Amino acid sequence: MILGFLDLPSWEQFQPFLATGLALGGVYALSGVGMVVLYQTTGVLNLAFGAIGAMGALIAWELVNNAGVPEGFAYLACVLFGGAVTLLYGIVFGGPLAGRDPLVKATATLGLLLILLGAMSWIWSDKARSLTLPTSTPAFDVGQVTVNWTQVIALGLGVAVTFGTLAFLRFTNLGTAMRALANDREIAATLGVPVRRVEAQAWLVSGLLSGAAGLLLSNLVGLDAATLTFLVISSLSAALIARLRSLPVTFFAALVVGVVTALITPIFEISEYRQMTPFVLAVIALLWLSRRRQVTIPGTAG
Amino acid sequence: MRMNPGWKGVRRVGLLLATAAALSILVAACGGDDDDDGGGGDVSAEAPKCGAGNGQKASGPPINFGAINTKQPGTDFSEGGRAVKAYFDCVNDNGGINGRPVELVLETEQTDPGQIANAATKLAQSDEVVGFAGNFSIIEGAVNHTFYEENGFNVLCAGIAPEAYSTPNMACVNMGPRYSSDGAVQAVIRAGAEKIVFDQSNVPGTDYIEAGVRAVAEAEGVEFQGNADNVPIQDANSVALKLVQAAGENGGVVLNFTPPEALKILQAAQQQGIAQQVKAWGCSTPCNTDFVAEALDQSFDDVLLVNAELNVTDADDEDSQLYRDVMAKYAPDDPLGSFTQMGFVIGQIATEAMLNIDGEVTKESYNEAVQNIKNFRTGILCAPWYFGEAPLHIPNNIDWTTTPQGGTMVIKEDCFEISDADPDIAQVRQIEAQDPSLIGG
Repeated sequence: MILGFLDLPSWEQFQPFLATGLALGGVYALSGVGMVVLYQTTGVLNLAFGAIGAMGALIAWELVNNAGVPEGFAYLACVLFGGAVTLLYGIVFGGPLAGRDPLVKATATLGLLLILLGAMSWIWSDKARSLTLPTSTPAFDVGQVTVNWTQVIALGLGVAVTFGTLAFLRFTNLGTAMRALANDREIAATLGVPVRRVEAQAWLVSGLLSGAAGLLLSNLVGLDAATLTFLVISSLSAALIARLRSLPVTFFAALVVGVVTALITPIFEISEYRQMTPFVLAVIALLWLSRRRQVTIPGTAG
Repeated sequence: MRMNPGWKGVRRVGLLLATAAALSILVAACGGDDDDDGGGGDVSAEAPKCGAGNGQKASGPPINFGAINTKQPGTDFSEGGRAVKAYFDCVNDNGGINGRPVELVLETEQTDPGQIANAATKLAQSDEVVGFAGNFSIIEGAVNHTFYEENGFNVLCAGIAPEAYSTPNMACVNMGPRYSSDGAVQAVIRAGAEKIVFDQSNVPGTDYIEAGVRAVAEAEGVEFQGNADNVPIQDANSVALKLVQAAGENGGVVLNFTPPEALKILQAAQQQGIAQQVKAWGCSTPCNTDFVAEALDQSFDDVLLVNAELNVTDADDEDSQLYRDVMAKYAPDDPLGSFTQMGFVIGQIATEAMLNIDGEVTKESYNEAVQNIKNFRTGILCAPWYFGEAPLHIPNNIDWTTTPQGGTMVIKEDCFEISDADPDIAQVRQIEAQDPSLIGG
């Protein structure tokens, strides 16, 4: 009844939105997992995740269109750029910021975001440009819409990265070391875990994922610095819903964010508010998760 | 198998990646901004002739002009101002104005009203400009039109704000988003659409633009559905799907976005195979660039109808030839496209106004000469342009329609009148009917 004022499309009309939502959700999951792994290992919430991917994608575009580099190498450069910049940032700033408050660490990455965004605006103006991956060819039909292989890869990579990372954390030395750091950095260091080395690898992995996400999103959404930079918000919301802890929850939350946003799109009455979806879902989830916590006001406890 | 995270290995990989990143940045920085055709194209071997056209270098104290351009991340209109300057440079190589060179003082702004107001005051008082020629801005018209009215400046512009078209002291060479969207809607209706779904950026002023296109559609007895999407668009696939579903197979979709945003939607439609599930797609002038055409495949040939306020850049008329020559010689780093075409035409108009002055070029004589501009003809515009004395100015109200074909934009429909179902256009037609000399009658 509450939806009575909405002019809802038929289920058949909703189907293709499900496909586009799942594809975007897959990339949000990819990004969300990268952010959670980094946060758990280093305590840094990397707000520059989207900007790094955006710059990688623009570099790939530049290499393909103006340097004549074969597409495969250009796409590899995008992913490597993400890894390199993130690792460099981690090496330079990870140590000095290690003991600081998480808010300070996150704000520092905001600085990196602004530097990269400024550099992108300076190097590549606001002219229209596009990067079409060779996988953007028809895969199969959903209703009247053709799903392409990039969308399939986006969702598949999201699944693979999430569950691959889970296995990696559980079954490898490095993964165990990362989990140890996540539990307690000081105790882990005391027990002989090479903290800086493990953190560097977390920075690198997270950076490689930002490059891959930037490449996929440049095709699924568009090659535009601001768009790709701020798409991190959707991934961040998924990570927050998972309280920056659980990779499976991050994955499913990312899919929900992608799908709900897509399903709202054809409902014209509320369509323009769909970009609130990540915030609304994050707020609802956080309120729900904290429902049993008691707030204690100093001086009133009995 | 267990990983052995040796620090030396990590450091080696780190160094390699850092080097790769540095190289990538270097390549990117060297690449610059050559995503358009960069002032190339078909140019003459001879030096271009502008203004007096005598090939003599101008000298002496310059005649100063001012221009205010939006330049901020995501929106850079300064190539328009630089095209005005390029034309003035050509004039200066051809005798200037009675031997004096013409200089353009270009101020950029970041859509900050205070900054924009200060820029106009600074240009008028400190730089002592005789006039404003080449204001390419998002909100400048709204901020400064009162200043121009109070201080007697008749401004040659290319604007977006409604005040750039609805006030007595500003006249633009373009027609802005509302009337250009009107033209796109007309083209899509002519293609057989029985319903128009209009989508534009969700920014202040959308109601003003939608009022025009709604009036045009309804006058034709066509169902209309307006829509606005937040920019930058983050889910182009869903947006394209939404628009196509809403239009239906007998409807048409009309977009009013900047080129990057419009391209996102068009490419999303292309990749999902839904480009041809409507009668036609329409787009206001910003889509009229070859880059959009290059990025689209054949599914949009003759299906995407773009309202073109200016001629295609490779047109073979004399003015288009001169435009290409001037850009190649004086602004080789700026692209051929709508913005530089507009700047070039503004340069031509300002120069004609100065050459019409008997005696000294002063603020008073120049602005009077601008107001007297009537029946200004150029191959870059469909119809004669004028300033005249009027409460509002939309002198560019007859347009082409272009469509992508083989990676370039080609003329699809010859010059047609923007519908006077839009009340603003009706008012302008009345002004032209009262003084037919404005358009050469």
